[in-house]
Amino acid sequence: MPTDENYHDLTALFEAQDEALQSDVFVEHVMQPVRKHSRWRAPLLFGAGGLGVGAALSQMGGLFEAVNVRAASLSQSIEQVRATPLDSFATEPLWLGAILVVIVSCVAIVATERA
Amino acid sequence: MRSDIDLAQDAASGQEAAFEALVRRYQGNVRGLTRRLARHAAEADDIAQAAFLTAWRKIGSYRGGSFKSWLCTIAYREFLQARRKQRPEVEFKESAHILAFDTSAARMAEHMDLDRALKTLPENQRICVVLCVASGLSHSEAATATGFPLGTVKSHVNRGVAALRKQLAAEDVA
Repeated sequence: MPTDENYHDLTALFEAQDEALQSDVFVEHVMQPVRKHSRWRAPLLFGAGGLGVGAALSQMGGLFEAVNVRAASLSQSIEQVRATPLDSFATEPLWLGAILVVIVSCVAIVATERA
Repeated sequence: MRSDIDLAQDAASGQEAAFEALVRRYQGNVRGLTRRLARHAAEADDIAQAAFLTAWRKIGSYRGGSFKSWLCTIAYREFLQARRKQRPEVEFKESAHILAFDTSAARMAEHMDLDRALKTLPENQRICVVLCVASGLSHSEAATATGFPLGTVKSHVNRGVAALRKQLAAEDVA
């Protein structure tokens, strides 16, 4: 069976056609939405991130107060959870849950970015 | 001249100038591919533009190898998507030839002969010839892009090339 190498003459004809299709106008048509997308993407991402960080920081004071108020009952709850036999999750279920939430969030962000 | 992989890495980090260099380098190949597959030049350029925008979004997933093949595979998929959105395929009109910007009469006649010959091929044969012969994809890359078995791609290419040569030879004689 013939190989890929037996149609260089035709490939050269097609390449000559392709060469003739060079156009600055087409490049500009492609780059306009690319530039628009880039212009908004960084401010949008950093803006949303900044808002999130700001909102989180603004809640820190209240969180510390709430933790102090409920520290005793929180410790008691954690002790109860630890004391309850829950197979392999009996050791640190809260941490495992938190880690799971972080992993799922990261996977969702990566999947969205690649889509 | 900077390599494709360098430009692609810079484009992936958000450098528009690097991506623009890649668009300039491969616009002819991608537009040529879509014009050979689509029915009209305007439609083909829309597909080519969509292909470049998809490439811009997915540039981070380019892992080396032939950038042209990677880009042409995206363009072929964009063509398939565009075709699915349209009504069922109708036959190509004889008047819908690809008119290149090169106005030299001999060149134009040669291009029109090639286009005319290409459009006489059955669709799957034409797709394989366009991907492998015109766009330079290997048989296995074309098999991956089209979903055809490798042997089928080889067979389509060989028959398509033979038919093109026959047509072009006949037009030379005429």
